Amino acid sequence: MAVETARSGLWTRAQRASVDQLHIRLESLIVLIALGAVMAVLSPFFLSLSNFLNILLATSTIGVLVIAATFVIGSGGLDLSLGSVMGLAGVVGAYVAVSLEWPWPLAVAACILAGAAAGNINGQLVTRAFVPAFIVTLGMLGLARGLALVISHGRAIYGLPSAMVYIGQGRPLGIPMPVVIFVATALVAHCVLAYTRFGRHTLALGDSEGAARAAGIRVERHSRIIYTLSGALAGLAGLLFTARVNAGDPTAGINYELTAITAAIIGGTNLFGGRASILGTMIGALIMGVLQNGLTLLAVQSYYQQMAIGAVLILAVFIDQYQVRRESRV
Amino acid sequence: MFELKINRFTVALGVAIALASAGAAKAEDGEYGVLMKTLANPFWGAMAQGVKDGADEAGVKYFLQAAESDQAAEPQLNLCNTMLERKPVAMITAAINSTNLLPCLKAAQDAQIKIVDLDNNLDQAVLDKEGIKVTFHIGSDNIAAGAQGAEYLVSKLGKDAKGPVLVIEGLSGNITGEKRASGFAEKLKELAPGLEIVASLPGDWDRGKAASIANDTLTAHPDLVAIFCANDGMALGAVESVYAAGKGDQVTIIGVDGNSDAVKSIKEGRLNASVAQLPYLVGKQAVENVKKALAGEQVEESIAVPTLVLTKDVLDAGTEPMLQYVK
Repeated sequence: MAVETARSGLWTRAQRASVDQLHIRLESLIVLIALGAVMAVLSPFFLSLSNFLNILLATSTIGVLVIAATFVIGSGGLDLSLGSVMGLAGVVGAYVAVSLEWPWPLAVAACILAGAAAGNINGQLVTRAFVPAFIVTLGMLGLARGLALVISHGRAIYGLPSAMVYIGQGRPLGIPMPVVIFVATALVAHCVLAYTRFGRHTLALGDSEGAARAAGIRVERHSRIIYTLSGALAGLAGLLFTARVNAGDPTAGINYELTAITAAIIGGTNLFGGRASILGTMIGALIMGVLQNGLTLLAVQSYYQQMAIGAVLILAVFIDQYQVRRESRV
Repeated sequence: MFELKINRFTVALGVAIALASAGAAKAEDGEYGVLMKTLANPFWGAMAQGVKDGADEAGVKYFLQAAESDQAAEPQLNLCNTMLERKPVAMITAAINSTNLLPCLKAAQDAQIKIVDLDNNLDQAVLDKEGIKVTFHIGSDNIAAGAQGAEYLVSKLGKDAKGPVLVIEGLSGNITGEKRASGFAEKLKELAPGLEIVASLPGDWDRGKAASIANDTLTAHPDLVAIFCANDGMALGAVESVYAAGKGDQVTIIGVDGNSDAVKSIKEGRLNASVAQLPYLVGKQAVENVKKALAGEQVEESIAVPTLVLTKDVLDAGTEPMLQYVK
């Protein structure tokens, strides 16, 4: 009884409210704010609007992949092909726009459709051929990267039409276009996952496939939709990448899937499914973005930045486990 | 309870502070930003050393960043954008490709930051189209490097020499490889018209592919007298085929780069020569020239850093002053 009273303090209520209403873990938000405060103290350049936009811009491509990773992992799956599919989609888009000289809206559509197609193949194989998701998407990682190299003959396709470049480099009202697209996508995705039936089914599937099936959810069909969605989001990320660097680069997105999964986990997604929130994982992505940005401003070499992110990942999961163990003791 | 909870985050904060303060140098006025492709490669390592020594000698402050690999185009753009926030007076950049840094370079130009194209990665036509003006381009002159290869060959065989010559180019379409090959071909024609290039094929920078090309060409032209390769890796591949065919004494093989494997092979008397690039000197001269430009002095728009022909004689004698820059 005594323990109960102690636990229902201000902190617990704040935690519960944030988890219930916004679907985020307060801990990750505190880490993000604290990290920002540290960087602001250490570097005089950190706290400015332009740097804030820089962080969001640097997070936008990977952020869209993080959304994809969150859906897939939340549903109990895994998509290791995100980075490669992103590279493939960008090359397909550049090929349509530059080599075929088709109008740019078709190129944009081609990016997203190429991603969705790759994702759909993943979904079909996982649900119909019963190959584990790890293997299917690992295979797709190689297939998509290889296909991107084949289409582009191993070389970046330069010179996109200006409307397409605008998607990556334009600044309406001073806000970079990739940031606009990323934030809008994140908000929509958050609402879908947190407040719709589709979202509830996704997490129910991740929690227990058997229970989801018993509850009448069409498990296989739902899985296929998730993988297709994941591919389409990777396609969108590929579009952002391609437009930012003005080239369909077959090597785009190498290792991005690992960064995306890292951000999703730092943001509180359970690696085995059942618990996920887009706002939460966006905080995870921003923790990584702030860390990278701040360390670069402090002129810390990029190799140390990778170490820092690795350390934060382990720390985040440690805190998470600690929390779970404490709660289960009560 | 609240305080106890926060305590746990002091752990996280501690890690962050420790990491950050490890490199927490306050930014200073008049700093140069240096952005490289990667440091995980001896070529860029030597260039970074040149930048450091150049900055120390010139008494200027700089901060250096590099992407995690020479294919990380978008991460390099992100690094570049972030570096601008430190408000450097100059950005010395080795772009991963000719377009990935353009948005950042445009922003640098708007902020009146001087832009330097380190190692000639930017395309003047693209820069003109985007309205970006770089203070100068600096790097090895690849046409001159090829020509130096031809000069060495003619000095060894004599200007009246006759016989078939093979050229192994880089990746087809790659400008660096093309320049080296064409520099070699033109100079050879001028100096020794009797030496005829019977084949000029892309070896894709690949040692194995170069070895097969050399092998096939030796079959077609058993009297082959020389092979010029657009880099050392391919030259070392060609060396293997030539020696396997027992024609090590008959065929002169020349590479470009001056990397440590090539130096070793030259010392062993297998590879005949390598036209060495001097990345150390490129880095050093880049900093020196930025200082000049900032002081208002005239700086050449395109600075060619010399290349050096390495042969067994040059390496054994060790008296060539430029040898100190071969890292």
